[in-house]
Amino acid sequence: MNVVTALKFYITKMTEESGPGMKVLLMDKQTTSIVSLAYSQSEILLKEVYLFERIDATVRSDGLKHLKCIVFIRPTKENVALLCNELRYPKYGVYYIYFSNIIAKADIKLLAESDEQEVVREVHEFYADYLAVSPHLFALGISACSQGLTWNPTHLHRTVQGITSVLLSLKKYPYIRYQHSSEMAKRLAEKIREVLGKESNSFNFRQESNPILLILDRRDDPITPLLNQWTYQAMVHELLTINNNRVDLSNVKGISKELKEVVLSGEHDEFYANNLYLNFGEIGQTIKELMEEFQRKAKKHQKVESIADMKNFVETYPMFKKMSGTVSKHVTVVGELSSLVGQYDLLKVSELEQELSCQSEHSAQLQKIKRLLNNPRIRDIDATRLVMLYALHYVKHTNNDITGLLDMLKKRGVPEKYTKLIHNVLEYSGVHTRQSNLFDREAVAKITKKLFKGLSGVDNIYTQHTPLLVETLEDLIKEKLSTQVFPYLGNMIMSRRPHDIIVFMIGGTTYEESLAVHNLNKQNPGTKIILGGTTIHNFESFAEEVQHATTGTAPRYRTRNN
Amino acid sequence: MFYYYQFRITISYVLTYSIWLLYDHVFQFNVKVCSATHKSLKRISYQALLIILQNLSLINKLTMAESTQILEGFLCPICMTDFKTPNQLTKHFEEVHNDDPEILKSLKDLFGKAKKKILKQDEYPELFDSSTLSTTKSNSPEINWGHQEIGFTRSHTKYFKEIRDARLERYSTETNKLLIRLDKLLRNLPVDPIDRKNHERTIVPWIDDKDVNLCPTCAKSFHIARRKHHCRLCGAIMCHDCTMFLSLSDARIMTSPVSVQDDSAVSPTSSESPITGRFVRAGIGLTKLARSPSSGSLNSVLSLVNDPASGEQHFRLCIHCKNLLDARERLKLRQFDKPITCQFYEKMRSYMEEATRYVSMYNKMYQSLSEGESTYNLRDAQILRSKIAKIGENIDTISKKILTFGVKDAENPVQGLELKLHQMVRASAVIFLKEQLLSLPAIPTEEEYQTLQTARQQRIEARIEYQKQLEMEERQREKKKEQKREIRSVADVGSSATKDQLVLDQSQGWGPSSAPLLPTSMDPIIEQMSNLRAYIKQARADCKFDEVATLENNLRELQSAYFAMKHSNSSDD
Ligand SMILES: [Zn+2]
Ligand SMILES: [Zn+2]
Ligand SMILES: [Zn+2]
Repeated sequence: MNVVTALKFYITKMTEESGPGMKVLLMDKQTTSIVSLAYSQSEILLKEVYLFERIDATVRSDGLKHLKCIVFIRPTKENVALLCNELRYPKYGVYYIYFSNIIAKADIKLLAESDEQEVVREVHEFYADYLAVSPHLFALGISACSQGLTWNPTHLHRTVQGITSVLLSLKKYPYIRYQHSSEMAKRLAEKIREVLGKESNSFNFRQESNPILLILDRRDDPITPLLNQWTYQAMVHELLTINNNRVDLSNVKGISKELKEVVLSGEHDEFYANNLYLNFGEIGQTIKELMEEFQRKAKKHQKVESIADMKNFVETYPMFKKMSGTVSKHVTVVGELSSLVGQYDLLKVSELEQELSCQSEHSAQLQKIKRLLNNPRIRDIDATRLVMLYALHYVKHTNNDITGLLDMLKKRGVPEKYTKLIHNVLEYSGVHTRQSNLFDREAVAKITKKLFKGLSGVDNIYTQHTPLLVETLEDLIKEKLSTQVFPYLGNMIMSRRPHDIIVFMIGGTTYEESLAVHNLNKQNPGTKIILGGTTIHNFESFAEEVQHATTGTAPRYRTRNN
Repeated sequence: MFYYYQFRITISYVLTYSIWLLYDHVFQFNVKVCSATHKSLKRISYQALLIILQNLSLINKLTMAESTQILEGFLCPICMTDFKTPNQLTKHFEEVHNDDPEILKSLKDLFGKAKKKILKQDEYPELFDSSTLSTTKSNSPEINWGHQEIGFTRSHTKYFKEIRDARLERYSTETNKLLIRLDKLLRNLPVDPIDRKNHERTIVPWIDDKDVNLCPTCAKSFHIARRKHHCRLCGAIMCHDCTMFLSLSDARIMTSPVSVQDDSAVSPTSSESPITGRFVRAGIGLTKLARSPSSGSLNSVLSLVNDPASGEQHFRLCIHCKNLLDARERLKLRQFDKPITCQFYEKMRSYMEEATRYVSMYNKMYQSLSEGESTYNLRDAQILRSKIAKIGENIDTISKKILTFGVKDAENPVQGLELKLHQMVRASAVIFLKEQLLSLPAIPTEEEYQTLQTARQQRIEARIEYQKQLEMEERQREKKKEQKREIRSVADVGSSATKDQLVLDQSQGWGPSSAPLLPTSMDPIIEQMSNLRAYIKQARADCKFDEVATLENNLRELQSAYFAMKHSNSSDD
């Protein structure tokens, strides 16, 4: 149940089905990301794919008739139209067509009618319609999935496609459970069941592993994406943003050309694979050791005075080159991270964030926030997230001073797009909606307790917070998850302990949650959990999500002083 | 420039060893280098240089501390003295070393040993011992969830082809009709315009002018300035602007039956090329490949329109008829568009396959040899290594040929997508060489191998000793038990030190059937042995060292059986 492997199987089969010969891969924007996450360019080259073309490129170059063209695109109307055109005036010799998802018969007919030159050899559906970020983590690249707190129809469609594709690529036909309090979760669950039900006859699903698809809503836990992170992968995403495993370092001062954009992929970078879940302190130590080792060896290499030196130098060249590439990349990234941490006083910020999310000490915390808001080194977004956390935590506290903090933010000159977030996030998290609902009142109390629970015996004050997801999944594994809060879709109820769990977060998941799922997988050897989300958030992207989600809703939340 | 100098100092060593992995014959340059630096420079792969240069620049970047210090000059390979210019080195060589018979002798030895040295490697300290660097797939935190199979797939190919073929059947009937008409039109085509018009109208009846008021293509009305014209193939009406022209010469090419083209050039699936099949059925036959620029190209056809010398040298066609004919021409063209680089490419790929096969064999042998095992022959491994090096060289050469193919073509240089393709093919070859071949581990030397063998022998002995000890203890325990209880049969502790027997694997594809036959008059065992020797020779030639190992094992057994028999025979006497 490894999503990266699942995609690799598909892509490898695509490159093999066309037999030997030079190949070109014709893709759209999304499938390009999908392929580039699974394979590095050099790996693809060795599969005889030498050229990469975009089907939606405005200027397409002249064709080469001796090339075999592997078409890998999503089954959208636009793509079908573009492909029809391509087939009418084929640029390559023969075509092997793969759609990343279920395609309508009518579209196949359109394509067949365009293939006047009989260039098409194969037409298949290969369900590689999602971004496999890690073996247990996938995303769909949807940046803001809801509007007015309901599904944007386009994004709902894409999400249904993405999840069905995950299920088909893993050959799972799951029981579906969803978060009862979320209308979006319910709609998504129903849509997925509809699609799977229609296709269940075409596929030979086997049930021995009791798969469960659990659909959750980010709105239930708006805390996790607000926090600064201290494990390598999560931290890089929070501070530098990971986009399809790529990190843009072009803003770093004095950066060399080849490091302007670096790839961080566990598939192709052993150092990263071994360290992505370590915390920042450990990473620093590892990097230091790596540096020292490398310098020692490089120094040895540098003295090219004897035959033996020369030999060593060249014999170990491939290893050397690989190592030096890795070293320089991670040294740069870690260096940049630590300079940002110092520059913006992130340790102080993070300590308070963790307190706000795990402990209840209203007046003391309010004082600390005020102090930090007066600290000129604190970034606007960090000031904002502190106030957001405060608001979420103390919105029902009788003496809360959300208004006062908002004023401080405004005085500080924090842009409106951030100050607006304070109210938006309250709207988004729905604390207020639940208040009016008798059933939910209990749930709210419980959830609030969960979100802000104190943790004892934590050795690191910066990593006290545990995402709500962990508790939900632990309950699910122990068969203790409430069927009222997370009902089954339809009348089915699974009687056995779940072995395969696919959990999907509407509104985006986080790398902190990915790490939590990774740890759960380690702790529960009989259980396999895969985490997915419409996207993978850091603060910036989550702010956008919240802002989009709450546009068009009448603001129901008012601070008392308004 | 900077690197050029840096490179020069190291030429005698760096080059040799980097290329050494790829080209065994290059080794000789090493010896010549000190006296004829420049000549050898030219003959050496610049790709290898590039790798080294990149590497040097990399070190400089990463260890900025002392990187400014550059060694410059030429090292004498004998006394390691550093010289600034090749002249100085040559002079030094003549003066210091040339008159010294010892040195000369050692130099000669170097030449003599060159070949031998290719196959071996001098000892050198492990710089990056594999434990620290080629780390730790096992350390990776990701959990291994075990076996996984490919996900669901669904094929639409059948449905697609049903629809396409039904539709193309219609098209091709129509196209065939047009071709038959075209053929008729061309036959006895009168030169006189009026006669020609009548001829055309008897073959294809024209639509009545009165029935059409607007041009069906552009929807403009007809009047004196926009007159009605007829398509000579379907009789439809259109205006002059919407008229297409087909030159008579092209029309003749299209309709002339020719010797059937070799379909195999089309694609591996030529047997299922139904269009050509249909044309044959219609009795028109395949037409000659129209490679002339005019075919299918509207512009060049139009240029023929007003040729006063030979009257109307074209047919008027409507866009519909023209498209049908064009589509067919395009199809024919496509089938023969296979550039020469494809042949290079296929050769390169077959070398890569061969290399991959050999490398996996080599790695297996390396493993076994460095364990001190005697399954494989040390020399075989050395030969295989140089064989791999040779294939690597071939891959390098061919990919470079592809890279430079047509770049300097003055009239029609390779550019755009094709150039990019060639670059990427070359890039893939470089990656292949680097990842597969440059990282081959070195075979132990004779001495090292002997040490390894001794160590292994000691390990085995130690294990047997341990085994014996265990058995003894077991026996003693049994004895104690026996003393305590009634006598029981002593369980036989099976010896676990049995040697693994190698079994000839027939499925490997190589069989003795192709081995040369030998006279059958000999002693059956001797015959069997010489057969085996022949097989071994052949297997070795095919680089099938697993079989060599098995067969040699068999041979040894046979030999000992033979000696045993002889011995018993002689004792019988
Ligand atoms: Zn000397
Ligand atoms: Zn017209
Ligand atoms: Zn016509």
